Amino acid sequence: MSTRTDTSSNTVVAGSFEGDLRRYLRGLGGLLVFLLVWWVGAMTTQPSYLVPGPIDSVRAFIDLFSTSTAIVVPVLGSSLVLPTGFAHLAQTLFHYVPGLLLGASCGISLGLAMGWNGALDDWLRPLVRVLRPIPPLAWVVFAIVWFGIHHTGAAFIVFVGAFWINFYGAYGGVEGVSTELTDAASTLGVERDLSMLKLVALPSAAPQVLTGFRTSIGRCWMIVVGAELFGAPGVGYEIINASNNLAMATSVAYMFLISLAFLCMDVGFRLLERRVLAWR
Amino acid sequence: MALSSDSPTDRESSEKITIQNVSRSYESTHALADVSFSVAEGEFCCVVGPSGCGKTTLLRAIAGLDDPDGGSILVGGDPVTGPGLDRGMVFQEYALFPWRTVRGNIRFGLDRPACDCPDCEARVRELIDLVGLDGFEDAYPKELSGGMKQRVGIARALAPDPDILLMDEPFGSVDARTRDRLHAELLDIWTQTGQTVVFVTHDIDEAVTLADRVIVMDADPGTVQSTFSIDLERPRERTSRDFVDHVARIRDELGSPADTSH
Repeated sequence: MSTRTDTSSNTVVAGSFEGDLRRYLRGLGGLLVFLLVWWVGAMTTQPSYLVPGPIDSVRAFIDLFSTSTAIVVPVLGSSLVLPTGFAHLAQTLFHYVPGLLLGASCGISLGLAMGWNGALDDWLRPLVRVLRPIPPLAWVVFAIVWFGIHHTGAAFIVFVGAFWINFYGAYGGVEGVSTELTDAASTLGVERDLSMLKLVALPSAAPQVLTGFRTSIGRCWMIVVGAELFGAPGVGYEIINASNNLAMATSVAYMFLISLAFLCMDVGFRLLERRVLAWR
Repeated sequence: MALSSDSPTDRESSEKITIQNVSRSYESTHALADVSFSVAEGEFCCVVGPSGCGKTTLLRAIAGLDDPDGGSILVGGDPVTGPGLDRGMVFQEYALFPWRTVRGNIRFGLDRPACDCPDCEARVRELIDLVGLDGFEDAYPKELSGGMKQRVGIARALAPDPDILLMDEPFGSVDARTRDRLHAELLDIWTQTGQTVVFVTHDIDEAVTLADRVIVMDADPGTVQSTFSIDLERPRERTSRDFVDHVARIRDELGSPADTSH
């Protein structure tokens, strides 16, 4: 674990093995204290469904993978049998992934275009100011009347969330391109605006674009669960569904599952980011 | 060596850059006011002056990065209308593309608009060799020292084989020893390529070390105050009497030494 240029990690005891070890031990300690408080709280609270205990929750989590559930693959229409946990995670991903990718591509494109083209910026800035503060979940009403609250509707809400975060990443990134670099590129034969965007603005904005995308990965998990609380199938829906049956331990198990899915995506993307931005 | 033995009159026979009555104002300051001079083909011309005398503005105007309010700039007889590959520029703060390796930076100008060199890879290798960066081909700018960064900057500017090399205080941020080495290397490159060089600096020693001719500018408004020919054999010895005399004359021209220190 090198910490020399990694601003996101704690650099109080930079790099040293003892420092790392101490940090891990403290982190482990924090987790253990939390588990203990949770366990005691669950033991002493009645009725028991108010706070499902850690052991019940882990058991419920294991159950998610020892039973299986059939789900329908959208577009293809074929059905698929998977361990229950994976089945509902897959349902979520069926709208999460297209919503995120499409929202990110549209947001990044508009952000680059507006950050680069002053006239377009003038045209759209007031509109952006008005639309931006609307929380993505507010669009749920239109998602329902336009698409119905199923995969498409949920994907639409995720799209809105991903759109704005990525829009600002790209917009800020392109605005911050140094004129020294564009000057250098001009003297080296870059004439067309589009070439300048591709060869200078985009690579120079890449760190901010990628940070925007990474932020949207997390934000879209919040949004997708919100959308599913309204009825779209997936892990968020299962949280509500389980609690309707007072199977609160199962709700907790799905919460874990979301946390794990997010962690995997975040770590994966950070690794990718580090590779792509090795020059930083 | 061969070039430095040419007499100045031979070289001034063909004007490469002609600056005629150029003016440029920013709000209330006259960065350039009626500046005229010319640079001969193959000449090494240094422009010195205090900060705010418009020397960088002038260089940017020659590069086509800045549009003067009045007057005209001719390069090879044609008016400058924008940047072009016939003029390479080396920037004070390097302006390297941080996401490109040494090789990628040098290659940049070769690929625009299309690669027309028979073997671009060979050309890049040749340039890396020329500026002494063997072994650093795949390093990113962040991994290089200031002197090495500027070597990349020079190689990058040289890559499209420009007729003119414009240098904006290129060695201002490197330490004195590296600067001496870079001076010698730059003169070697210039001797090999025979390019016309316009080199902006505030360091009189540097100007006298390098130039065939030194243009002294004055600030507010930015004007050409005087011109000095430096007819000294290269490499020049900074402690030699002639060298010291030249520096003293230019320093006198610029006014008190305190004014020239920044």
